[in-house]
Amino acid sequence: MAVAINAPTVRRSRPLRRFLRNKGGMIGLGLLVLLVLVAFLAPVIAPNPIEQNISARLQPPSAQHLLGTDQLGRDVWARVAHGAGISLRVGFGVVILSVLIGVVVGLLAGTLGGAWDNLLMRFTDIFFAFPSLILAMAIAAALGPNLNNTVIAVALVSWPIYARLVRANVLALREREYVEAARALGASGSRLMLRHLLPNTLTPIFVQASFDVGGAILTAAGLSFIGFGAQPPTPEWGAMVSETRNFIAEAIWAPTAPAVAILLTVLAFNLLGDALRDVLDPRARD
Amino acid sequence: MKRVVQYLATLVFALGLGMAQDARQTTLIYGGDWSDLITLDPQVSYEFSGGLITDNLYETLVRFEGTDLSNLKPGLAESWKVDRGANAWTVTFNLRKGVKFSSGNELTAKDVVYTFERALALKGPGSFLFTDIAALQPGATKAVSDYVVQVSLPKTSSPSTFLSILTFNIGGIVDSAEVQKNAKGSDYGKEWLTDHSAGSGPFRVVRWDRGSQVLLEANPNARNKPKLQRIIMREIKEATVLRTALESGEIDIAEGLTPEAVKALQGNNRFKILRADSLRLNYLGMNVKEGSPFANPKVREAVRYAINQDELVNGLVQGNGTKIQTIIPKGLLGYNPATPYKFDPARAKKLLAEAGYPGGLEFELLVSTGICGGGVPCADIAAKLQSDFAKAGLKANVKAIANAEVLRTYRAQNHQVVLVGWSPDFPDPDGNATPLADFGAKSIAWRNVWNNPTASKLANQASLETDANKRAALYKLLTELVLREGPYAILYQPAVPIGLSAQVQGFVRSAIGTVRFENISKGQP
Amino acid sequence: MFSYFIRRLFFVIFVVWGVTFATFFIAQVVPIDPAVAALGDNAREEQIQEFRERYGLNKSKPEQYLIYMGRLLSGDLGNSLRTQRPVVKDLQEFFPATVELSIAAFLVALIIGIPLGIWAAIRQNSSVDVGVRVLALFGGATPVFFLAVLLQYVLAQRLDLLPVQGRLDGFLFPPPRITGMVGIDALLARDWTAFFDSLKHLILPAFVLGAFSAAILTRMTRATMLEVLSQDYIRTARAKGLAQRIVIFRHALKNASLPVLTLLGGLLGGLLSGAVLTETIFSWPGIGRYVTQSATSLDFPAVMGVTLLVGLVYALINLVTDLLYAFLDPRIRYA
Repeated sequence: MAVAINAPTVRRSRPLRRFLRNKGGMIGLGLLVLLVLVAFLAPVIAPNPIEQNISARLQPPSAQHLLGTDQLGRDVWARVAHGAGISLRVGFGVVILSVLIGVVVGLLAGTLGGAWDNLLMRFTDIFFAFPSLILAMAIAAALGPNLNNTVIAVALVSWPIYARLVRANVLALREREYVEAARALGASGSRLMLRHLLPNTLTPIFVQASFDVGGAILTAAGLSFIGFGAQPPTPEWGAMVSETRNFIAEAIWAPTAPAVAILLTVLAFNLLGDALRDVLDPRARD
Repeated sequence: MKRVVQYLATLVFALGLGMAQDARQTTLIYGGDWSDLITLDPQVSYEFSGGLITDNLYETLVRFEGTDLSNLKPGLAESWKVDRGANAWTVTFNLRKGVKFSSGNELTAKDVVYTFERALALKGPGSFLFTDIAALQPGATKAVSDYVVQVSLPKTSSPSTFLSILTFNIGGIVDSAEVQKNAKGSDYGKEWLTDHSAGSGPFRVVRWDRGSQVLLEANPNARNKPKLQRIIMREIKEATVLRTALESGEIDIAEGLTPEAVKALQGNNRFKILRADSLRLNYLGMNVKEGSPFANPKVREAVRYAINQDELVNGLVQGNGTKIQTIIPKGLLGYNPATPYKFDPARAKKLLAEAGYPGGLEFELLVSTGICGGGVPCADIAAKLQSDFAKAGLKANVKAIANAEVLRTYRAQNHQVVLVGWSPDFPDPDGNATPLADFGAKSIAWRNVWNNPTASKLANQASLETDANKRAALYKLLTELVLREGPYAILYQPAVPIGLSAQVQGFVRSAIGTVRFENISKGQP
Repeated sequence: MFSYFIRRLFFVIFVVWGVTFATFFIAQVVPIDPAVAALGDNAREEQIQEFRERYGLNKSKPEQYLIYMGRLLSGDLGNSLRTQRPVVKDLQEFFPATVELSIAAFLVALIIGIPLGIWAAIRQNSSVDVGVRVLALFGGATPVFFLAVLLQYVLAQRLDLLPVQGRLDGFLFPPPRITGMVGIDALLARDWTAFFDSLKHLILPAFVLGAFSAAILTRMTRATMLEVLSQDYIRTARAKGLAQRIVIFRHALKNASLPVLTLLGGLLGGLLSGAVLTETIFSWPGIGRYVTQSATSLDFPAVMGVTLLVGLVYALINLVTDLLYAFLDPRIRYA
């Protein structure tokens, strides 16, 4: 699959205003703001997520338990609310880590060129040409299940796209006059990279990253679901769906609430990604 | 167009009429988590599901019947006797005449000799029962005549234990002619028997679609004619799916229901619920090696007082298990019903303070990511314990990892506290007493670095005692000792929650997991 | 064209080698003792030692890698520690079920995604378009494991419309195993009852697995169609008074199919990832469930076998789509 390579000829005509007019983007932003608020305010607005009350297990939603209780009598709303921060950390953690790896590999490949470029990009291709969940599962199994390892595992399968993006932009930019000019003036390689190349690749990375946060949250939740993720009693959403799925007949709210939370979060990032792409990079639609 | 109509007609036929009603009446579908099934070879299989199936493919010389695990009944041997020789025991079996294998071959003494030698040669995971526990040697089994077999055992071995081991699938007699015919090299037919059968049991294997189902059919030559034509062992791991499949009639028996599903089905007269006994104990093992806080008996005592066992058993396990605090399960000689430890966080705190931990204690609680018996996930039990512990100032950090990794850590004595289960290898109190009390046995007591010479001595003494009353007295002493001093907090003895369609008759499951398929029938609902 | 093909083929081999190396490397990180993993709690020390010896677990890591690669070249993937038989045999047993499910899911995605995408594009900005877009957005954000659990609950348990597990009704005698795909085997045996029953068992898991791909495909088809529809020649065709249907199906669709085609390869590969979750929940005996169980019991020979197979399939799918693309689009140079 070829990645659309667009030199960042971004029309800088008031992207902010166009973003504000983008309905999907505003919904996404609204959801994200809500999510961040919940994540930060969870200790204030929700009860203790690990406090149990076995005698009140699998209770339906009520004034006391807004989203009911789970199989150990824990408040589902409390767990969902506290899970928001965890999911955001996982999503951003994965993306930051994979951007870091991707940028390093892409920059090296693009600037070193020649055999190095070939080697690094073939290496990238290997990771690109592989179903992410299976590899992430193998890595998570090997590292041992905990949330940090899940982040590492997902990042290790998500970075290649950034390496490709960065490399492609580096190659395109190298041919540009101002780089040629800078080089003619005797600027060093590393300075060139930092001063000119990197800022120009930020836009496509940013757009890609906003999609990937959602994707990473989804993948990490999937890993947690099959037991390669958060440790009990961590209120991680995927793990919550997994723990409560056997009670769907008695307490449909218990697996549904965290699942809806995942859905809305991923939706928010997808909408944001769509909007950012439309606004910042109008030629690279879909 | 005509074709389409034809297809549609077939479709309607297929969906509407379904299969012949006949098949539904003569086929039984038994759903459960059989994902541990590796082989159907009786001398190699050591898993629960393998034992469950092979028990119905092969017959043993002696057997237990129904849920009674203390009185041996004749199997292929009509009678047997034990003679005390000068240097050895001799066990003589008189075989039943006219018993036929599914191939049509007659079962004779040479098949018994072949089977025992085969078990010793293959060295399967259960072979230690023959080699270590019964001390059976190659060549010690002899065919005296076509219908008489003699086994000699060294003086150090216990003939009664040997007989009880023979009730297991490792003692399932195979058709030597048929197996040798299908053997490859020196594999004693191991590869072939993995997914074929050559026994005299009421059923034979037709096909095994791995990960999906094992299809058994009535053995036409069996001496115990089964009531059903076909048994299908359907592999279903998800507890919700198991329940739905039972409710929609996709399966007839569902083994491993959640406590909630059991409650829901109990009120429905289309189904029956059976909570089959098991000999399993779920417990916490505390590593008492030097330097560990658990080396102090007061800390262990505190842990036992910090568990709200009643809430665990009644609230979470909900009848899919019984409360127990001693190391020999209910159902075996020597079971001790004492439950002196009541939930008392204040007392636990006091004990911790006395032990030098006034500010509480933090430790890692290792659990498996799987199901812990009674249909409850281990992680749920760990979370429950964690919350109880917190009230007594014990901070447990739960680490849920693959079962294999739990065992590795446990075996290497690298755990602090571990939540696991133990099932005896044979239905005898010694199957629990020695591993859990004798450090020298290098089993559970060893893993927790609990070396108590008195406990070891009592366990050994009891294992050799032949007088039942004296033996029971010894076990009473032992269980009391381990209860107070031991490195364990026993949590509960799980039951196996099984849902059955109301049509199913004659289903009985023993505490070691044997189900005799030939007794099962399907009546009108 | 030929040299292009050779180069792509060489790349496939390279990817597969890279995958084996990566998974072997990963397997070495594990602190686990596979012998204990395989033999379980009651195993004796001697048995564990013997197991280590038998599987070469006592040798040094580079030695183990060389042995592994040597065997690999002769088509031997080693033995699974969990099922205790050759991984190749396990893959033969489980892969057909995954192929069957993935193809069904792929068809679901095509049947849902392409018409919806076209419909939305034709009616751009109408309520149909908005509805389709919202649906696609949700489809792309729903966790597949929850969709599976929810649909099982609603369609199988509450409404009892579809079977909840398995590939064939247990009361039916399964058709003789030829391809390992129950539906195909039933057709080969001319067993219509089994064939239709196997389809019935496929619907739910295939829909669950295909939903995510359907969402992506819908978006892609819509976007591509919109782009094509705005091109000059389409406008001309419309201006000339050609019927809407002819414009759409003869001209627009043909030109929209190329970019969609490139996506399909990726989707089919992505299905293999989704199969891990779907198969686990539906008790579907494919390699997705096999690899999950293997990873759970730290059975790395099996995990490596699956990653190798999946990597190979993935690379081949990409190769085929690349070639198809090159073949269909004369503008592509295979220099």
